[in-house]
Amino acid sequence: MPDVTVSRRDTSHHSFEGKHSMAETSTAPAAVTTVPRAGTVAPASGPPIIELHDLVKRYGNFTAVDGVSLTVYEREIFGILGPNGAGKTTTLEMIEGLRQPDAGTIRVAGIDAVHDSEAVRRIIGVQLQTTALFDYLTSAELIALFGGLYDKETSAQRVSDLLALVGLSEKRDAKVNEMSGGQQQRLSIALALVNQPQIVFLDEPTTGLDPQARRNLWETIRGVRAAGTTVVLTTHYMEEAEYLCDRVAIMDHGQIIAMDTPAGLIRSLGMAASVQAEVMQGTLPPAALASLAAVTKADFQPESGALRLQTSNVQATLVALLDLAARHQVVLSDLRTTQANLEDVFLSLTGRKYEPGQEPEASAKPARRRRGMF
Amino acid sequence: MRPILSMITANLKMTVRNRQALFWNLAFPALFIILFGALLGSGGNVSITVGVAGQPSELQTKVIEAMKGSKVFKVKTGAEAAELKALSDGNRDAVLVFGPPAANGKPTTTLYYDESEGPNGEVAVSSVRQVLQAVAGGEPAVTITQKPINSTNISFIDFFVPGIIGMSLMNSGIIGLSTSFVTYRERGILRRIKVTPFPLWQFILARVLASVLISIAQALILIALGKALFGITVHGNPLVILLGIVLGALAFLAIGFAISGFSKNAETAASYANLITFPMLFLSGVFFKISDAPGWLQPITKVLPLTYSVNALRDPMTRGLGLGAIWVDLVFLAGTFVVAMVIAVRFFRWEGRAV
Repeated sequence: MPDVTVSRRDTSHHSFEGKHSMAETSTAPAAVTTVPRAGTVAPASGPPIIELHDLVKRYGNFTAVDGVSLTVYEREIFGILGPNGAGKTTTLEMIEGLRQPDAGTIRVAGIDAVHDSEAVRRIIGVQLQTTALFDYLTSAELIALFGGLYDKETSAQRVSDLLALVGLSEKRDAKVNEMSGGQQQRLSIALALVNQPQIVFLDEPTTGLDPQARRNLWETIRGVRAAGTTVVLTTHYMEEAEYLCDRVAIMDHGQIIAMDTPAGLIRSLGMAASVQAEVMQGTLPPAALASLAAVTKADFQPESGALRLQTSNVQATLVALLDLAARHQVVLSDLRTTQANLEDVFLSLTGRKYEPGQEPEASAKPARRRRGMF
Repeated sequence: MRPILSMITANLKMTVRNRQALFWNLAFPALFIILFGALLGSGGNVSITVGVAGQPSELQTKVIEAMKGSKVFKVKTGAEAAELKALSDGNRDAVLVFGPPAANGKPTTTLYYDESEGPNGEVAVSSVRQVLQAVAGGEPAVTITQKPINSTNISFIDFFVPGIIGMSLMNSGIIGLSTSFVTYRERGILRRIKVTPFPLWQFILARVLASVLISIAQALILIALGKALFGITVHGNPLVILLGIVLGALAFLAIGFAISGFSKNAETAASYANLITFPMLFLSGVFFKISDAPGWLQPITKVLPLTYSVNALRDPMTRGLGLGAIWVDLVFLAGTFVVAMVIAVRFFRWEGRAV
């Protein structure tokens, strides 16, 4: 008799969000001056609160986390960004004490997390990927229960405050099975905060939410940080990392390939924007694409016809591209330009187009050794 | 203390609000009691079996003839001791013993009846008195001394209720706990608890304690139902009965926990659970006495935990027996608990498939 409601957030397929929401056809100036958008400037953060050194985790022959080192500072919103299978969740789980690393050290608020994970668990809050909550209990009861698990009395006022924080005040007496997936997700964030943690870990907090709910949650997370809690989150949404995170670590194949503020990462590209199109008819030679005016990187997939050119001068590249297309009698459709973003960073670092839904080498992960008859 | 009390309270709330579980754990056994009780009755007789013993006399012969002539009475004759034993075994409703005539020449009779038969006994007594008066020719003609004896007359429903309580303990423990824990694991609840400072063993303990409390409440409700509808009598020391309930509940909970250890998912757990509980239901003396079952089945019944749980409840409840009679059953139940827990701990996986 199941007495648990779960909503599995769908992380298997996603179109890249940024592409559609930030389509602009105005030309960017030739000089690259990226004005930092609100949220990308690191506010005054404090001393280091999490330190990972050369963290390694293997499953048989497959190395899920391959020598990860990073530092998270107090009161920052730190994001770990990367496609599925990059090792983000495994890294987080090692900090949370759910998995033992094969090598490396983890310090959380001065505590050795590998050997004293119980002390760490007292001061952190965690939202897991699956929002598994007990059926038949109301939101208020769940908050009181989890507070009790930390040996803390949870007053009615505290319950109200937490529910208000995640916008669930009117669901105070609703049972979990009467709430939508998005509401359950928000409740699980409230539960992650019940013990007033110093650090809260959110694993893919907005996956499966509609855009409005996602934006509301971003504001909630900023509110959590404003109250003094450090936030570490994983995401595969570029837009989320850019908007929400003070600093971002980009992970791929178990390694950190870049770590900086989003603005810093984009600035390092030396490009202003990317020009994208779908090639409907004909094909374009890669060499010619790469040598187009002001192009810093060219990516063309002949099978799908997807074309992406990184450029430091949009106008020059556009003109050159249209000329090239005309000469080769190629039909371009869905021609657009996008301001430089983290997807370009990923492409530039890995040479691969950012495909969040892919799980590289997931099949190489061995099935967990099972006990018993099944 | 607060963490584990929080968890126990939450478990109690969840169980009470889980209507599906309530049906299987309470309504289902209650239905059995109602159905079987109605079908097979609480032992009300339309006929009165009377044993006649004592000194033969003209009066005795006339009384016997009068009773035989009536459809209401079944008459048995025999030696006084044998008849009285039959009365206490529940095979007679009343025994009429004729004694020597008194000083004034009046015949003396002693009318024995079973006090614990309640209304049945009273009906028997007044019926026999009527016949006696009639035959002897009026009230003063014969001296009747009424003597109640106390035996425990076990009617079917008295026999049945402890069996059904055993069944409900088994279902709650084995089916309830096995599917619960597998679901907790499948859905990530165990991981969610693991990231708090609350130890998983306390999480399990809280569930077990809550289940034991609920089992006790279940048993009390079923007993109350039996009393209200069918007038069953519960004998025995309440503490002894409570001990039987608790040990039975623990044994079955441990088995349920063990099943959840090596089941991959809730469907598998439910299959194992049914595989174990269904045969036990029919081979453990719930519906009929084990001694009535064929000889080749007897050894099988001796290894089934439900057999011992039912005995541990039935002996005190129906015959008022104490710890001395049921200690073997209790030891077996405790042993089941230990063995099942060892298996459970050995096999239990906190994580599901590879994440």
